[in-house]
Amino acid sequence: MPDAVQLIQSLVSGIGVGLIYGLVGIGFCVIYNASGIVNFAQGVFVMLGGMIAHVLLTRLGLPIYVAALLAIPLVALIGIIIEVLVVKPMWDRGATMFAIILATLAAQIMIERITILTAGDQPRTFAEFTLGGPLKIGPIAVSYQLFWILGCGALMIWLLWLFFAKTRTGRALRACSQNREAAALLGIPVGRMLMVSFALSAALGAVAGILVTPTQYTAFNVGVPFGIYGFIAAIIGGFGSASGALAGGVLLGAVQALAIVTFGAGYKNVVALSILLIVLLFFPSGVFGAKEAKH
Amino acid sequence: MTSPSTISIDTRLGVVGALIGVALVAGVFLQGGYLVTVIGFAAIYGIFCTGLNFFMGYTGQASFGQNAFAALGGYGTAILCAGLSWQPLIALPVTMVISGLIAAAVGYPTLRLRGHYLAMATFALGLITYELSIEWIDLTHGYMGYAGIPPLGIGTYELSSDRQQLLALVAVLLLGVWIANRLRDSRFGRALRGIAGSEAAANALGIDIARYKLAAFVIAAVYASVAGSLFAHFIGFISPEVFGLSMVTASFTMLYLGGIGTIWGPIIGAVVVSILPEAIRHIAAMVPNAPSNLKDFQEILYAVLLILILIFFPKGLAALPGMIARWRETKSEKGA
Amino acid sequence: MSLLQVQNVTKRFGGLTANDSISFEVPESTVFAVIGPNGAGKTTLFNAISGFFPPTEGRIAFDEQDITGAPQRKIAERGLVRTYQLVQLFKDLTVTENVLVGFHLVTKGAVGAALWRPRWMREQEARIREEARELLAFVGLSAQADMQADTLPYGQQRLLEVARALAAKPKLLLLDEPAAGLNTDETQALADTILRIRDRGITVLLIEHDMSLVMQIAQRIVVLDFGKKIAEGTPAEIKAHPDVIAAYLGSPEAADA
Repeated sequence: MPDAVQLIQSLVSGIGVGLIYGLVGIGFCVIYNASGIVNFAQGVFVMLGGMIAHVLLTRLGLPIYVAALLAIPLVALIGIIIEVLVVKPMWDRGATMFAIILATLAAQIMIERITILTAGDQPRTFAEFTLGGPLKIGPIAVSYQLFWILGCGALMIWLLWLFFAKTRTGRALRACSQNREAAALLGIPVGRMLMVSFALSAALGAVAGILVTPTQYTAFNVGVPFGIYGFIAAIIGGFGSASGALAGGVLLGAVQALAIVTFGAGYKNVVALSILLIVLLFFPSGVFGAKEAKH
Repeated sequence: MTSPSTISIDTRLGVVGALIGVALVAGVFLQGGYLVTVIGFAAIYGIFCTGLNFFMGYTGQASFGQNAFAALGGYGTAILCAGLSWQPLIALPVTMVISGLIAAAVGYPTLRLRGHYLAMATFALGLITYELSIEWIDLTHGYMGYAGIPPLGIGTYELSSDRQQLLALVAVLLLGVWIANRLRDSRFGRALRGIAGSEAAANALGIDIARYKLAAFVIAAVYASVAGSLFAHFIGFISPEVFGLSMVTASFTMLYLGGIGTIWGPIIGAVVVSILPEAIRHIAAMVPNAPSNLKDFQEILYAVLLILILIFFPKGLAALPGMIARWRETKSEKGA
Repeated sequence: MSLLQVQNVTKRFGGLTANDSISFEVPESTVFAVIGPNGAGKTTLFNAISGFFPPTEGRIAFDEQDITGAPQRKIAERGLVRTYQLVQLFKDLTVTENVLVGFHLVTKGAVGAALWRPRWMREQEARIREEARELLAFVGLSAQADMQADTLPYGQQRLLEVARALAAKPKLLLLDEPAAGLNTDETQALADTILRIRDRGITVLLIEHDMSLVMQIAQRIVVLDFGKKIAEGTPAEIKAHPDVIAAYLGSPEAADA
């Protein structure tokens, strides 16, 4: 049995990772609320964020901040490409929800394979944003990266809030999520909103990926797990609000960390997936859900 | 089951298809070698997809985790036959029953979910099984995989050659399709297709939707389990990767290419998609500077193919005759 | 003896009272219509009667048994079958297959029977195919028997729905706006069909907006407005009823009556 220090230590890192899950979860919510589509490719944006940042760092020798700021719009662009080439044609042809979900899954796999071909299949990482040892609070070590995650996470939430509350596009997107038909009748270009939601989601995923890579690693196949964790976070949060998804992510990260330190790292995914099933079956509108999830 | 002109197209195509099928199997049988494995895979996936088709095509629900039951079948067979030296023909029905029971237990709460919740829950099932097959090393030998699985056989007689096993696989496949068809053309099958058409109307006509969906789910799981077991016997070796995510995408590609909700769609899709890598290999061999990492290209091709089919051709190849016939009908109606 | 008894049925959705203490009785072998302006609560009433959701208050008795709050499927088993406002055909099935599904309640046999095909199963199949032919002839869709259901024009889709519902051998047929979207000829065909259904001994309860149809075929009418019952009687009585005229005042339907 782990002792108190180990537990708290693991909780600390669990919460850090949980915030990342929350960011991915918000990405799920953005697309779902605008269109009713669950983007099974969400996780791949996380992978691409870390990967592209790493490539820019190593092959072009750019400093981390520049690499990050370049990587995010690049991933957003990939999100738009997926929407335009894969989702929109199906949407316009009235494809079933399952077919669209399947297509996004296929897109994820395709991107993963292309990544292997262009960047190799080795995991890689880059340094924390602020070098230097972890901050020691008593016996607990808190890595500087965790503060970056907290800070950037908060920044992203604030920027998102600004976007949805203050900009015209943001308000239009909110209208879409409330009632798509009414929004269309009001002249809001629902198709364009879909593109915006994909771009936004991808950017969120990219930020999450860049932030989390220094604490673990990035590789072509980290997309699927992060996608699942993000989905779980969104479900716990009821698929409605950003804060719900964040809370869900933190909860998941904490439980996962405790499970790892108690049972071993191998069962990390099984724990996460079991939580998913439990929530789906017993808390269909989310544990923190404010809004009833739309079907 | 459709207008007279389509029936004759159906029978004509049916005869052509049957001839092609026989020619294919006979040709591969005579040729031997690597092709036997390819067609054997096609037959195994054909069984898997027939089951998946039953659930998805006839009830209109989605399961992204049928590979879980294939893993149950495969590992069940491995453990029973290689680990405990059971007879294959006893292990097979036993694993089928186990998979069916687990499917019933899992399906009962899960099938109450709808839409993307169902998709995600079934997806999670497949992933959990995958993870467990890696982590539960004592039972499954983890990443290293499970080797030494005996081929199909009775008593001391084993189907030792690939060719004989291929015949057995094709026989099981045809039996599976026949069973699926029998079920489809019955009160049971019609109720399922009614649920796919309109749950509201089916309910108003007295159909117990939850029970029928569960029945279809269990049937699909049993088919998947058989496919997994047969794979284990055919190759003699299984590993977690076999029943992983690539099985999900491959099977969906086959199903959508062949045509969801049709009788022969699953087989057509399985054959076409299985032969594809061979065709690519031949083409690549002819091109001078072909890259060596074909597997990745293969996956990319599957993904692109699936996306294209989903966008432009979601009803698949088997639905083509029906579409052509209806196009002809509307043309002649306009003329008359 | 009345086949259906609706007693003080009330349905509230949060603060909205969609049905307010509605009571009436439907005698056997009649055509009984529920009419009223849009939003009067007619479909809500149907949903409560057919078991789509339970009423908030009140009691519903069918064939001398209390069915209040029972699930829709169980109510269908007792012989109360409904159709929906929006056509709910099984689009990928043929016309005949649609009707065959309707026989579900009056047939038996599941997976085992489907596989082994015992003699009683084969006889049952032959019998329901014959009855399906009869039903399609009854509604006038014999020529379309092997066509895909979604290729039918709207009016014929409606008739197919009726044929399918009849396959379940109901004692009471609930039709929700069956004439919606039909032209004059199609509406007349529907009217004839409903009368012939009544002549077969089946009771028909319908919601309708088309006043000429209602006046032509209904023997008793209940009028709803804002969730309350404001009148009940024969077509002649309803036509002259001051409250009904007031409720419909200025609406085009009143001009047709």
